[in-house]
Amino acid sequence: MTILEVDRLTRSFGALMAVAGVSFTIREGELVGLIGPNGAGKSTLYNLIAGAIAPTSGKIMFQNRSVAGWKPYHAARAGVARTFQIPKPYRKLSVVDNVALNALLHDKSMAAARRRAEAILADVGLADQAGNPSTILTVGELKRLEVARALALRPTLVLFDEIMAGLTRNEVMTMTTLVASLPARGITVIWVEHVLYAIMNAAPRIMVLHRGELIADDTPENLVKNPGVIQAYFGEETTFA
Amino acid sequence: MALTSKSTADTKPRPALPSRWWMKPGRGSVSWLELALLVLCMALVVAPVPHSYQDVIIVTLLWGGVAIAWNIAGGYAGLISFGHAAFFGIGAYTSTILLVNYGISPWLGLWLGGIIAAVFGVTLALIGTRLRGPFFILSTLAAAEVVRIGALNWTSLTGGAEGLWITPTPSIANMVFASRTAYVALVLGYAIFVYLVSKTIERSRYGLALFAVRDDEDAASAAGVNPLIARTWAMAASAFLTAIGGSLFAQYFQFLDPTHVVSPELSFQFALLAALGGLGTAIGPVLGAIAIMPLSELLRSYLGAAFQGLHLAIYGGFLVFVMLYLPGGIASALERPASRPRESP
Repeated sequence: MTILEVDRLTRSFGALMAVAGVSFTIREGELVGLIGPNGAGKSTLYNLIAGAIAPTSGKIMFQNRSVAGWKPYHAARAGVARTFQIPKPYRKLSVVDNVALNALLHDKSMAAARRRAEAILADVGLADQAGNPSTILTVGELKRLEVARALALRPTLVLFDEIMAGLTRNEVMTMTTLVASLPARGITVIWVEHVLYAIMNAAPRIMVLHRGELIADDTPENLVKNPGVIQAYFGEETTFA
Repeated sequence: MALTSKSTADTKPRPALPSRWWMKPGRGSVSWLELALLVLCMALVVAPVPHSYQDVIIVTLLWGGVAIAWNIAGGYAGLISFGHAAFFGIGAYTSTILLVNYGISPWLGLWLGGIIAAVFGVTLALIGTRLRGPFFILSTLAAAEVVRIGALNWTSLTGGAEGLWITPTPSIANMVFASRTAYVALVLGYAIFVYLVSKTIERSRYGLALFAVRDDEDAASAAGVNPLIARTWAMAASAFLTAIGGSLFAQYFQFLDPTHVVSPELSFQFALLAALGGLGTAIGPVLGAIAIMPLSELLRSYLGAAFQGLHLAIYGGFLVFVMLYLPGGIASALERPASRPRESP
């Protein structure tokens, strides 16, 4: 069953077409990678889906409901969670309260929200930081806090934005396992990532965005043979090793 | 599945930092510090204190209460306001006009003043939606000036620059008392009430949402919080509680004119008490008021006549000292964990 349908979605900033007529469909329970060079429009696409900005034209259907131009809090309440490429912690709150606020979307009491937050922090490996201020976290820990906050919303669709940047190789491995387990828990995942080995191994389907347009939507095996993708990443006359 | 920090190279287990004993038992209960302050204040009500000192106590508690109210908007929601004197003045004028012209008890009038101020606060928050940082602050300053100039010129209602007198016929219904001790008890009750409201918000889910909006609006919005509604409610609550303080001030001072109750200096002072005490916690403005109000009042009464301006110089020096060495406010110094965390490399 389709959970997200994007149809000829366009967003321009002045003369720049950040997202230019993008169409795709995501089925429930999918784990879809989204890659593309810097400036390809990945974050703009996320901002459109999650309601941070409104499209210039085109349709966004979430669970068969037209949601183009909705607000971020509408998206969150409807079950769409996102992480931010540059982590946005609540700086004056403790790590556990950072997650508890998001858990409160569904939990009715503070105590229940904090319990859920503790459990999710354990899932992402931040349990021993729960009582500390979020300001002492490292970059890798902040990325994991972003993931914890997204999961605390109990989403049906989650948009991950470069959650592996700043993580060690070991952390990337364990985090990839966590992400790959989400579809089985009823969470559909779209995942923007520059750490390609992680996404190539975990995502059975990968979309490639280039200059605002979707230039490929395929399996990882086929993508590495796709001349358009190779050209977008490496320029012409290059063979992908 | 679970990531453990043992599996990662760059994280060592860092247990939660211990807090100071006077801030305990901590969240969800009354700390030793709060208990000590409460006992001190109650003692000041019953103790045989000379009149002039009772005035200092009254002003400290009243300004402390208003600073707590200011902090709900400025500290919790990040709506730094230099216009809270407008709410204070609206409260003072509403209850006084109702009492003097219509004989309505201030016990009723103060709620009405609170509601009018809350409506004004909501308007201010909605108009200022698109303004951020310094521009929002300036808009609050301007809005308060509109109220002050309005009060100055609407002479038929407010008495203009000549002001309004509350003729003292002491009675509980008129909220006019013969003894200052009753006023001390009254403003202590007000301060405790505002503190409890503030503390309740601080611990509630709504408070957490406010802090989130203050710290990062985009992230809070992505967490399902409507930032506009959160901020607007904070401003309404803050304005409401500030206006009640204004009504009590009018009843105690028994005279009001626009320069006394709607001046920018008053707005700055509310903000200053909260900022020096510590933004964002209920206890902060209390500590700010206790540290600053007695100092300012006593310096003025002892030095004001003998050495013109000296009391202001000492007062200013003290403020500079606090801002330099306790940039997070007095409360942050008290709350500072026993050992400072070391940044991991």
